[in-house]
Amino acid sequence: MRTRKWTPYASVFRLRARLETQYRAAALGGLVTQAFFGSVLVCLYTALFDGNDPRALQETVTYVWLQQMFFRMLLNNDSELNGLIMTGGIAYTMIRPIDQHAYWMMRELATRLVGALMRLIPMVLLQFILPASMRMTLPESPVALMQFMVSLVLGAVILSEISGVRDVVIMKTLDTRGISAMINLIQMIFSGNIIPLTLFPDKAQALIRYQPFAQALDAPSRMYLHAQSAPEWLFNLSVQLGWIVLIAGLGRLLWARQMNRMTVQGG
Amino acid sequence: MRYVLHSMKMLWKSATQYRSSLVMQIIAQLIMTAGDLLAVLVLMDRFLHIGRWQPAEVLFFFGVMQLTFAMTECFNRGLGSFEGMIGSGAFDSVLLRPRGLLLQVICSQLDPRRFGSFLVGGAAVALASRTLGLRWTAAKALLFGETILGSLMLLMGLFLIEATMCFFSVRSIEMVNALTYGGRSTCQYPIDIYPKPLRLLFLYVAPIALCMHLPVSVILDRPMFAVPGWCVWAAPLTGLLFFLLMVRAWYFGVRHYRSTGS
Repeated sequence: MRTRKWTPYASVFRLRARLETQYRAAALGGLVTQAFFGSVLVCLYTALFDGNDPRALQETVTYVWLQQMFFRMLLNNDSELNGLIMTGGIAYTMIRPIDQHAYWMMRELATRLVGALMRLIPMVLLQFILPASMRMTLPESPVALMQFMVSLVLGAVILSEISGVRDVVIMKTLDTRGISAMINLIQMIFSGNIIPLTLFPDKAQALIRYQPFAQALDAPSRMYLHAQSAPEWLFNLSVQLGWIVLIAGLGRLLWARQMNRMTVQGG
Repeated sequence: MRYVLHSMKMLWKSATQYRSSLVMQIIAQLIMTAGDLLAVLVLMDRFLHIGRWQPAEVLFFFGVMQLTFAMTECFNRGLGSFEGMIGSGAFDSVLLRPRGLLLQVICSQLDPRRFGSFLVGGAAVALASRTLGLRWTAAKALLFGETILGSLMLLMGLFLIEATMCFFSVRSIEMVNALTYGGRSTCQYPIDIYPKPLRLLFLYVAPIALCMHLPVSVILDRPMFAVPGWCVWAAPLTGLLFFLLMVRAWYFGVRHYRSTGS
């Protein structure tokens, strides 16, 4: 009977994934934006490095493009959930015999993963039309690529779980815009989207690379750039897993408490 | 003018009705802009210079951009939600009133929350000018004011493009964002560090850099281009010109307006 228990979550994942592939126009618009911002950032770092240390520049350029490629993973707002919270419709989903937290997290995960995958091919094609100096490099080795992909999926899980905590805050405050905007910005800075985390001061590196937001896209990017030895890789994966367990645990706790004292809007 | 003052007063009153919420949102904006500031500081800490510019000078450019953009966004909320205004048919009632159309749209919503970003931008400019030991003459102060106003008009003009497009397709087109928000990100740094395509784009197509960076570089006593003095004073006027042009385009759009309301 074990499989039966999982069926609703698997199917919400599948449905969400299929829905996301319908938004092709949105994907195209996002693509233009990502390509533009990526190019500007690459130009900025080229100017900053000023001809010194071409290897580090190359790595930074690759890092920037990885961030832009998987940008969809970073920001996602489940407008349906927000709407349900604001109108009180959440009451109807609460009576379904499923685990609320798991259900909404599955939706998040599907949107983020499938949305990012959809944009992957055109973003890779873009690399071929860019001038050679602005292109990203291939992963250091096949091993690096594999390590990167495993870690990236964990990154998407982390981001979904973080949004789970955000949702509870929205349920409590009924403010959808302000809090989301702030969390989005914190996420963009501390996951390395605005500036690569590798460029933070060397002294701060130990702190900056193990904080939760770095587990999203920064940790995989570092693997893409440098294949890691087995113990090192396992260590980094367990950091990711550790944060997942912690944040998911917090999210589940908060959701469970919130579901018991939910204020339903409307009348 | 009385209409503008009156609607500003009313909007301010409605914003201050929820005082703690307003204060929270201003603080949120402040933190968000401080995040951008942090990014600039981290980069300058590592690289020490960019092109021929020192950290304090880069900070000055950053501050001017944030300051101007915050002001623009404060006045721009009405235009920003213009898509909604058209979609819901609310624009019909605007057409009926005996006041300037664009004026009404702009005054329909103001955004006092941007005050937070404004503060951070202002603080960055003040800090940078102190670090540099900049001597402010009357002429420089005047040029600074003109630059801010000119850039404000220019950015409004860029946002107007988006609003004008709403007349022709009911959904606004995201690509213009590359010029507005992309312009903010790009022109946070002096334009002469970028390669030619970007320089051309922001000097001549969407002349943010012409309007803002040329006079600022003169204020910093490190002119960007060897141009005669009057050119520096004329540069921010391109913002005004651009704005007037886009206003014309917008009114052209109004004539093609077909209501969606029922």
